[in-house]
Amino acid sequence: MGTENPNPRNYPLRPAATPFASQQSSTPFLSSGPVVGSEAPIFRPGPTAASNFQAPPFSGGPLVGTEAPAFRPPPSSRSNEVVRPPPPPSSGGPPISGFQSFPNPPMPMAGQVPPPHISLTARPGIAPPTRPPPPGPASIFSLPQPPLVSMGSPPQSLKTGQPNPNIPPPADQHFSAPRPSSQPSSPPPGTSYATGRGIYPGYATMQPNSVSQAPPMQPASFQLQQGGYGPPLQSASFPLQQGGYGPRAPPTSLLAQQRGYAPIPPISTPSGIYPGNQFQQHGIAPPVAAQQGLAEDFSSLSLGSIPGSFDAGLDITALPRPLDGDVEPKSFADMYQMNCNSRFLRLTTSGIPNSQSLASRWHLSIGAVVSPLAETPPGEEVPIVNFSTGIIRCRRCRTYVNPYVAFTDNGRKWRCNICSLLNDVPSDYFAQVDASGRRVDLDQRPELIKGSVEFIAPAEYMVRPPMPPLYFFLIDVSISAVKSGMLEVMAQTIRSCLDNLPGSTRTQIGFITYDSTIHFYNMKSSLPQPQMMVISDLDDVFVPLPDDLLVNLSESRSVVEAFLDSLPSMFQENMNVESAFGPALKAAFLVMSQLGGKLLIFQNTLPSLGAGRLKLRGDDIRIYGTDKEHTIRLPEDSFYKQMAADFTKYQIAVNVYAFSDKYTDIASLGTLAKYTGGQVYYYPNFQASIHKEKLKHELSRDLTRETAWEAVMRIRCGKGVRFTSYHGNFMLRSTDLLALPAVDCDKAYAAQLSLEETLLTTQTVYFQVALLYTSSSGERRIRVHTAAAPVVADLGEMYRLADTGAIISLFSRLAIEKTLSSKLEDARNAIQHRIVKALREYRNLYAVQHRLSGRMIYPESLKFLPLYGLALCKSLSLRGGYSDVQLDERSAAAYTMMALPVKSLLKLLYPNLVRVDEYLVKTEEFDTKKRLPLTVESLDTRGLYIFDDGFQFVVWFGKALSPDITKNLVGEDFATDFSKVSISQRDNNVSRKIIEILNQYRKSDPSYFQLCHLVRQGDQPREGFFLLTSLVEDQTGGANGYADWMLLLSRQVQQNA
Amino acid sequence: MKEVLAWLLFFFILIALLVMIVFQLMCLADLEFDYINPYDSASRINQVVLPEFITQGVLCFLFLVTGHWFMSLLCVPYLYYNVRLYHRRQHLVDVTEIFNLLSWEKKERLFKLGYIILLLFMCLFWMIYNALEDDEHSF
Repeated sequence: MGTENPNPRNYPLRPAATPFASQQSSTPFLSSGPVVGSEAPIFRPGPTAASNFQAPPFSGGPLVGTEAPAFRPPPSSRSNEVVRPPPPPSSGGPPISGFQSFPNPPMPMAGQVPPPHISLTARPGIAPPTRPPPPGPASIFSLPQPPLVSMGSPPQSLKTGQPNPNIPPPADQHFSAPRPSSQPSSPPPGTSYATGRGIYPGYATMQPNSVSQAPPMQPASFQLQQGGYGPPLQSASFPLQQGGYGPRAPPTSLLAQQRGYAPIPPISTPSGIYPGNQFQQHGIAPPVAAQQGLAEDFSSLSLGSIPGSFDAGLDITALPRPLDGDVEPKSFADMYQMNCNSRFLRLTTSGIPNSQSLASRWHLSIGAVVSPLAETPPGEEVPIVNFSTGIIRCRRCRTYVNPYVAFTDNGRKWRCNICSLLNDVPSDYFAQVDASGRRVDLDQRPELIKGSVEFIAPAEYMVRPPMPPLYFFLIDVSISAVKSGMLEVMAQTIRSCLDNLPGSTRTQIGFITYDSTIHFYNMKSSLPQPQMMVISDLDDVFVPLPDDLLVNLSESRSVVEAFLDSLPSMFQENMNVESAFGPALKAAFLVMSQLGGKLLIFQNTLPSLGAGRLKLRGDDIRIYGTDKEHTIRLPEDSFYKQMAADFTKYQIAVNVYAFSDKYTDIASLGTLAKYTGGQVYYYPNFQASIHKEKLKHELSRDLTRETAWEAVMRIRCGKGVRFTSYHGNFMLRSTDLLALPAVDCDKAYAAQLSLEETLLTTQTVYFQVALLYTSSSGERRIRVHTAAAPVVADLGEMYRLADTGAIISLFSRLAIEKTLSSKLEDARNAIQHRIVKALREYRNLYAVQHRLSGRMIYPESLKFLPLYGLALCKSLSLRGGYSDVQLDERSAAAYTMMALPVKSLLKLLYPNLVRVDEYLVKTEEFDTKKRLPLTVESLDTRGLYIFDDGFQFVVWFGKALSPDITKNLVGEDFATDFSKVSISQRDNNVSRKIIEILNQYRKSDPSYFQLCHLVRQGDQPREGFFLLTSLVEDQTGGANGYADWMLLLSRQVQQNA
Repeated sequence: MKEVLAWLLFFFILIALLVMIVFQLMCLADLEFDYINPYDSASRINQVVLPEFITQGVLCFLFLVTGHWFMSLLCVPYLYYNVRLYHRRQHLVDVTEIFNLLSWEKKERLFKLGYIILLLFMCLFWMIYNALEDDEHSF
């Protein structure tokens, strides 16, 4: 039954029935014969997969023995229904012709017989087992029975090429099992045919032939399969089919056949088929590692006999968990060696659907997540290429030269891989092409062998001279900023970073401070001290000095240092509580608009004066659940959007640092960062004593990391596909051009694509990300990432090539955007619906004929999708409602998640939890990989745990933890309130070790600093706030736990399935 | 004669509306094909949004006071839609999101365009009808 699956599916795809009939009438045997032969090599995977397949259904059943017999009958009956008459005879014939020579097809029946024999001999062992009836199968089934079985994929996986030799011994056994079933059907071939006839009128004519042949053929056909397929499995699953079809075993082959048959002349068809198949495979096959394919094709999860009842059916420990962190799909990279690394570009599925109808069945969004400047480990730096005379680009589509372009005409022309236009090779770029079409100078041309390169752009890529790195600080100096200590920490940090700002001697810097007035600082290098100018007219802001507000850092270094040193003391006595944020922003804009650059805003209170003042609209519990709920997450005043647009226009990126303990309307302030390619840092209730390290680290990273200035980014892709929407922190300058005033390694952008043509004719789609930017060194550069992805015709293949990380990254952005136009609840439901739809579609692929009613099946590649989906629904930005997360925190998290690269996002969604107490007291090596599931059950009262989500650490002390450890970690006062103590280096081993671990974690992802929070078990509400709500697998608030979530999904998947 | 003049006035108002909407559509189309940047496009469109709303309101009002309640009624949905947009402060094009909203903005304006053309034809019909009637009377 499992085997049948494929057939129905395939059928609809191509109108098979008619071709069949025609073929049959002409020369049934021949035609089928060739097909089989051809298939054998090509489709080998199918069979093996089938064998695997069978096991699972049975495993579910408690009574193996009894089931087996029951199982058998259905197939036979099935065969009758489905049977396609022609094959039996043909089957005999096909093997021969296929192997030997196509021209022979017309062979008579006699001719057919021999071939089966041959195959038989090849597999002598098989013949006897065939006969043994039910008992055999039963035993077989009992063999493989893990509850969580990953099964091979059936027919669909054309690509999974499983060579015959691979067939494992068990396969034989399976084989025998199928036999029995097949036999019943075979003996009365006449009858089955009759039914077949009824179904397929076309066959009627052939019938006579087939019938007469049938008896002898049957065995033959079996043999054939073995010979052809090698793998026994198919036989097991296919017995029915064989009765019906005889020759063609795997469904895939069916496709091929059908295609092939359409043309009546038998001989020609087979040959035609052959190339066709290969072609397809060529496109599809590469990804599939034969063995791997089997194991990965899908996984299933036993949910108990009755979905919804939670008895032993669902084994919580068996649920898939990403304890190894983000696992990137490997097959894709292996397939296209010259693709850029996945740290730069990840596709949600590497199999691009070949038709719109196929794309519409893929519910997980086709798209890409791009991180153009991702950090590279030493040794893998992106090579820099300098063309002396212009960059080589396609004349028509402007694609940059890349490893996938083809040089023809003896090296004088090159064909663009994206639009396939033939371009001339400039004379100074010319090189001979050797016999295999490779340029002889390939190894000196990184742009022709590497997926990622950086071109030095000549003058035509500049609209103005490359700008210098420019940092401008807009600092709130009202009372709360001074009181919290923010001002001091910030000034110190900036001062310590002055040496490390990128751009060496070109760097420019400037400051504005504000409370109810705006203070400008003249930093002219000839001055001993900065000169302060105060402007109190907030309605008509003007710049008091034409220049010298923005100065060259190296020239005015001493003035800048003097300023930073005196800044905290200057406002020590400031009692001003107002904040003229809007006017100050305008002033900063006026100062910066000449050059662009990066604007860092340090905001401590709600803007209260002048343009852009915000109301305490706050977080209103009554608004939740109504149609207006989303308005509180939108900027209140259009001033902010307008300013953001202006900033982008003048190449200014805004990073917002917000510190207030009260409502500051991050939703409005963050808009500035959102549209300028910036970032929001939020430190609720900032206190220098606690958050100092965090601010210091994050601010200095912001100032010193390599930054690309005045950048624009475009993603080009091949004909027939088009990027339709972009998601992230940037502004679109035209339909497909992202304006990014500043980009760095911690930013990622997502895009969705759609098919423009109903059918893609190419076999590969190429993507090229081009980021044109000014480097800190003042060079104009173009960073180009190129990747190729195969076009597939099969949904199963899309699932196999899916990338959970990219999908979740895209989903999170879509969901967050949805919270800006509808309720939180709707956004969460949208995620859930998408996952359900995707799993249902997948289930429809495989499950219909496999009794999987009590199981949930999902592709191996998406095994973490449900869990990440759940985690996403529980993330700060989407979680719960009014009382679960403060509005500001929610908005800040949303802005952050919109920019996060895939890896950081996954870590945020499913944080690391490790137990460290044993390591602390013993001397063994610490294993950072030993992560625990995120559930309360993982927490032992005698243990000490570290929870790390990339943004903060939580150190959890079990109640029964040895007091020694506690004492060593936090000192003598270990009984005090943990909110007041922190882990600092102490003079003992335990303390040193834990600091070492924490530092190790921090180093692994330096983009944010994880502040360490200590939590004692049972110390509410602290424990709940920091840890319990983050344990995504547990039921918290109104949200599901992991097990319930899986049951819920499973139920929904099976509705209307 | 009065009647004809009134219809003539309506006709010109409708033409003015038509021009404003076509102008907005052109800006959007230019934007889509990358002839102008989003900043210019948005500011040009936003310049004529309010005039368009006001003109339409005036038209509706004039229909009413001249006793053409049926035509006035026809204008009401349009007016209601505009007023609602204005109240929600969604009447202006948002430059930061213009590309994401492009298809919607175009659809909306195409719909308005169709609406105006319909009104225009009715207006023409009544104008000619009245003119002919006047003719008859004059004989």
